[in-house]
Amino acid sequence: MILQNLSIKRKLTLIMMLTSSIALILSSVGFLIYDLVSFRHLLTQDLMTQAEIIGYNSAGAMEFKDEPAATATLSALTAKEDIITAVLYRPDGKIFAYYFRGKTTLPAYLPSHLQGKGYRFKAGYLEVFHDVTLNGERVGTLFLQSDMRQWSMRARRYAGILIIFVLVSGLFAFFVSSKLQGLISNPILHLEDTMRMVSTNKNYAVRAVKSYGDEIGRLIDGFNTMLSEIQQRDTRLQSTNGELKTRTQELEEEIFHRKQTQEELLNAKHAAEEANRAKSTFLANMSHELRTPLNAIIGYSEMLEEETRDSGKIENVQDLRKIQASGKHLLSLINDVLDLSKIEAGKMVLHLETFEVSQVIEEMVTTLQPAAAKNGNSIHVQLAKNVNMMRADITKVRQILFNLLSNACKFTDHGSVSVNVEQIKVEDRDWIQFQVRDNGIGISARQKQNLFQEFAQADASIARKYGGTGLGLAITHRFVQMMKGQIGVESEIGQGAVFTVGLPAQVVIETADSAPSESASKLAAVPAETKTGLETILVIDDDPSVRDLMSRFLTRLDFRVVAAANGEEGIRLAKQFHPLLITLDVVMPDCDGWTVLKKLKSDSELAEIPVIMVTIVDNEAMGLDLGASNYLIKPVDRDRLAVLVEKHRGTRSSTITDDHPLPLSRVADRQADSKPAVIRVSRTRRN
Amino acid sequence: MQKILLVEDNEMNRDMLSRRLQRKGYSVVTAEDGEKGLLLARSETPDLILMDISLPVMSGWEVTRLLKANEATRHIPIIALTAHAWVTDREKAIEAGCDDYDTKPVEFGRLSEKMESLFTVKKL
Repeated sequence: MILQNLSIKRKLTLIMMLTSSIALILSSVGFLIYDLVSFRHLLTQDLMTQAEIIGYNSAGAMEFKDEPAATATLSALTAKEDIITAVLYRPDGKIFAYYFRGKTTLPAYLPSHLQGKGYRFKAGYLEVFHDVTLNGERVGTLFLQSDMRQWSMRARRYAGILIIFVLVSGLFAFFVSSKLQGLISNPILHLEDTMRMVSTNKNYAVRAVKSYGDEIGRLIDGFNTMLSEIQQRDTRLQSTNGELKTRTQELEEEIFHRKQTQEELLNAKHAAEEANRAKSTFLANMSHELRTPLNAIIGYSEMLEEETRDSGKIENVQDLRKIQASGKHLLSLINDVLDLSKIEAGKMVLHLETFEVSQVIEEMVTTLQPAAAKNGNSIHVQLAKNVNMMRADITKVRQILFNLLSNACKFTDHGSVSVNVEQIKVEDRDWIQFQVRDNGIGISARQKQNLFQEFAQADASIARKYGGTGLGLAITHRFVQMMKGQIGVESEIGQGAVFTVGLPAQVVIETADSAPSESASKLAAVPAETKTGLETILVIDDDPSVRDLMSRFLTRLDFRVVAAANGEEGIRLAKQFHPLLITLDVVMPDCDGWTVLKKLKSDSELAEIPVIMVTIVDNEAMGLDLGASNYLIKPVDRDRLAVLVEKHRGTRSSTITDDHPLPLSRVADRQADSKPAVIRVSRTRRN
Repeated sequence: MQKILLVEDNEMNRDMLSRRLQRKGYSVVTAEDGEKGLLLARSETPDLILMDISLPVMSGWEVTRLLKANEATRHIPIIALTAHAWVTDREKAIEAGCDDYDTKPVEFGRLSEKMESLFTVKKL
């Protein structure tokens, strides 16, 4: 509806005007009606009084049939403007006398018959009948007719007044309501303005002004409270947002720092690992160097002992034996250190073979018989029936058993040492369990904690009394770990000790290390593959992680990578694959990089293959003298390596196919040669 | 008298081992590097060779391989003397054609046993 969509101002004005006007009109009309009704009543009374007077005055004339007197009496009515007709009827109904205002003839509308006394309103006229009596006797009837002009004049005048009054009061009401509606609408409109401002500008600091204490005032109060609540929340939100931003920044910084630290740590770790490897390599080399003079000491003292004995100087023999014994002790120390450093340098590898367990046990018992006899011990062997073959590194199994048995013999005096071997099944896997039991001095709980740690002999006094390096059990532990086995000990002081070693009946070697070698062996099996597709790079490095890294890096550069773990294998693979280029490490066991380089360069078939030295040894001059094309120092700058490698890409592509169709005799030679080589590759794979 | 060729680059070891072998009643020829060892093996045709592996000029493996490849010297038993416990050394020794190996420092008793057993095999 249109009304409903009017502005609140209009609505208020309209409501007030309508209300006041309707009330005014209704009351005025009511009053008017009342006034007119009572005025008519007054008129009626008046007319009836007139009729009575005229009736009284004309009663004599009627009695005496004095018509002119009656007419004269009626004529007095001229003063009454509203009476237009006055008729005197005789009792028989005949007109006796009459008066018509402004007329002399009988009007047609005279009532044809007479009615009883009374009045009636008929067609806008008031008619009155009155009995004319004389001395109580009815002598005729008077009929008066009034046109009620006073009444209609009054009614018209009143109507006019009413209209003017209504109009004037309407105008006044409009004026007043226009002014007064502001009382209600202004605060509401102000509130609306404020709300619009808030929602448009998002400015929650704005407040609506409260004008009055009425409901709207309360509404504004409520609105303001709500606004301040929102403002507070907004402020809080903003400050929280700010905090959040700061915190996020802090966190980002922290993450950055952590990443940096992590990188640093990683670098440090690599450096430490490198240092540790270097240390182990150093130890290995050192131990090796120490052995040479020891060799002489032991050898010469042995020789001297023989000669002294032959020449009869018995008194010197004991001293020479002491030199020998010390030399041998020193040698075993060095051997242990060497073993351990090899393990730590990652150079200790497993060589798996299948062997009979009983044979190894027998062997070890025989070997240790003298040691047992020395302390008056006896060795008992108990071999379960289900034990026969196992697959493991036999040398390490021997050493494990040797260490455990020699310890048992060493720490037991006139007792018994027993070896118990059985095959058990744990989680669907077969394990060979070796148990070495003695009834010697035993081990305390505290000593047990460090039992398998390097250089942690139970007690310093023990070293003096029993000798040994304190490395035996550590090495044993490492060997067991290498073969994915378990070692444990049960013992109490004075109650002897039980060492239990469990090894998988089928030791397998982890594959992570073997990936490059595996691919190499695959390639070895299918040499035809090299004729097509990618160009080959041969990586010669004894460190499996370097091989792995180089393989990955070069593979990403779209080369086929063949890796060799030592110089010999490298030369063989070089002959087999005739690679685009070779990367070569210097420090390798057995056959160092210089030797490999010399061999490569002295072989007419391989001499033209570029060799990039990749090593920790800083001796570029030597490398280049020996014929290397480039010299990179570890850790390798990959970008530089990539550039060097890319430089050679494609340079030999034309010769590769030429190289492969070898003369028949050479193919035959190679096949003959490759037989042991293939064995070696498959063995390396197991590493 | 059995003739032993001792190829060893360390002077002290060479001296000591040769004297001990002589005391045992062997006649001993010595060489201090691989190349000389190869030449002496060919010229002296010893009954047994004790071959150090890490030799200058030409390694023990190389000498062994050449000797075993040659008809004239193939029959001479060779005992490789390797550094301690390098298992690969042992395998390489066998692979290169050595008849036996022993680790250094030499335990003389054990070494003489190995030598004797090789002589016995040879006689058979």
